[in-house]
Amino acid sequence: MSTLRALFLGIYLIAGIVQASELSVAIGVQDPSQLAMSGNVIPPNMPGSELIAFNDDLAREICRRIHARCTVSFVPFSAVLPGVEDGRFDLGFGNLLRTPERDKRVAFSAPIWYSSSRLLGTPATAEAFATKLSHPVSVDTLRDARVAALEGSLQLAFLNTIASQHSLTVSSRKTAQEVIEALRNNTADFGLLSVLSAYALLNRDTTRQIEFIGSAVADRGLGGTVHIALPLQNDTLRRSVDQAIVAIRGDGSFQRIARRHFPLGLD
Amino acid sequence: MVTPEFRERYRARTAFVILASTFALLFSVVVALVAMDQHRVLEASQRLQQDTIPQIIRYQRLARNLEQIRQEGERVFSATTPEARQQSLFLIMLVASHPSILEHPQSAEATRDAERFLIETGNLATRDAARIAQRHAEWQNISKRLSLLVDDLSVQGASLATDDLNEMVAVMQLARVKLIGALILVGGFLLLFILLLNRHLIRPLQRIDQTLSSLSVDRPAPEFPDARMAEIHAVEQATRRLHDSLAANEAARRELELLANRDGLTGLINRRHFMVIADAELQHTQGQGRQAVIALGDLDYFKRLNDTYGHAAGDTVLQSFALLLEESFRQSDLVCRYGGEEFAFLFPDSSLEQARALAERFRQRVADHDIRLADGLLIRVTLSIGLADASKSTIESALHDADFALYEAKRLGRNRVIVAAETG
Repeated sequence: MSTLRALFLGIYLIAGIVQASELSVAIGVQDPSQLAMSGNVIPPNMPGSELIAFNDDLAREICRRIHARCTVSFVPFSAVLPGVEDGRFDLGFGNLLRTPERDKRVAFSAPIWYSSSRLLGTPATAEAFATKLSHPVSVDTLRDARVAALEGSLQLAFLNTIASQHSLTVSSRKTAQEVIEALRNNTADFGLLSVLSAYALLNRDTTRQIEFIGSAVADRGLGGTVHIALPLQNDTLRRSVDQAIVAIRGDGSFQRIARRHFPLGLD
Repeated sequence: MVTPEFRERYRARTAFVILASTFALLFSVVVALVAMDQHRVLEASQRLQQDTIPQIIRYQRLARNLEQIRQEGERVFSATTPEARQQSLFLIMLVASHPSILEHPQSAEATRDAERFLIETGNLATRDAARIAQRHAEWQNISKRLSLLVDDLSVQGASLATDDLNEMVAVMQLARVKLIGALILVGGFLLLFILLLNRHLIRPLQRIDQTLSSLSVDRPAPEFPDARMAEIHAVEQATRRLHDSLAANEAARRELELLANRDGLTGLINRRHFMVIADAELQHTQGQGRQAVIALGDLDYFKRLNDTYGHAAGDTVLQSFALLLEESFRQSDLVCRYGGEEFAFLFPDSSLEQARALAERFRQRVADHDIRLADGLLIRVTLSIGLADASKSTIESALHDADFALYEAKRLGRNRVIVAAETG
């Protein structure tokens, strides 16, 4: 009887370990149509698929290194942090910059790459505003404009802080693709996105209607190191993920994954 | 000048504690110095690992991005289609947005200039492809500026590592010098310690050991050089006192032996001692096949002399007779007071005839010798002697024979020498 009890206890413990090594991963999508593709691979010809595929590959490589079975979900960028915060997701990917405010909500891994922000718009709009402002358009010179940014992003937060001072009309979109669409259908004059997200979306746009406007900005919370978001209470997982990041950087896996999807190094 | 008696001496334990403490202090100082160097090396290593290498990586990343911008700029000029040109421009804008460039003012300015120039070039080329060639010379200047910047960044990165490594090498070289110094210090101190140990402890102890091993009353009192160690000096003093005690004991022993072996009145050896040494001498003589004779002598009418003149006179006669004995016999002859007025003799290396002549001559001398008593009265005594050959017999047997011959001498009228063989 005691043998049976020990056997069941062993099975229970092993099951617990297996259960503990199952992780739920959230990846912020670029396009609303990608939201329905949770658990599947994003087709490579879709807008911004490179960035999603890169995050997907990176997430799977990290899961493999920490011996975890990961279930990937594609969610809007704005849902990544709340999902990790309330425990629905164990790992959150999505060009997440680290800020003191976010530090209170989630834990962050070691840096995985560097990001900056840049205005986007049509050349005609940029030229018109440059004439009106008597200055080339930039984040600092922009006045009396309609600017769109990603919901829950630091770009949106930044725009809101300068909106009244610069007479800006700020609007938010659930995905980066919707920001681009707002520029195309002239519901916004400019968009402020992370450069890599924008690149991933515009790279396949042969019309070149939308361009980067002005210089990139990395200060004032608009750039810096990009991290993976993790639950605050799971420090063991954070340490494991950090070790995995060091390992995949050390053996060149990170660089290979980046080069697979982008024509430049991301680190 | 300080004489050895008043020379300052040190306790071995105190000297050892002082030496060990000095050594420990010096060694600790050297270890502390080496530890400081080690700490500096550790600090430099940590700085290299935590600051310098990440900074080098940042420089490398920056140089790589600038080089990519430069290469994409070349592609803008070499592109054969507007799409390819636009693709390169787009990539330039992407790379130029990298924070590594934005954080480095010099690179940010160069990149901004290059980006602006290339975008203008792209716009001009869209309107008139022929104009792109006119701008290539200016691009070459911008490209050269980017290349120089890439080179500068590479050199700066290498210099950072070189500075740290040079500091580490300098510290390690200093540490090596200190370690060699420490080794010399330890070696020198050990040598000094061994020399002092040998001079002040080991050698004095060896001298004491040798002295104690050969300590004897037959040898002179031991002499030691002046020792600086109090304990060694104390042991040497004790050794000297031990020798003095041994000598005193030996003198006492000899005195006691003398008292035990000699007759108190005459100073001659007593019967017990005579039996011991005569037996040994006889065995030795017989062992070498030589002859020996035993004799017993007895003063004639000694009881009557005692009765007539008193015991004091008897004692005077015995003492006078003993002096005469010592004057008359050879050094090798053995004489003892056998008991009362009876005396025993051993004549080694003598035949019966020689012994008879010797005894006869002595008997005659006794008979002619005047003995002055305490009251001035002169008297004479006679001596009867019995001889026996002891060349082949035991001491007891020879004494028995001599006693028999003495009896015969008495019986035949006294004052004569009789040989045992003559009695049959």
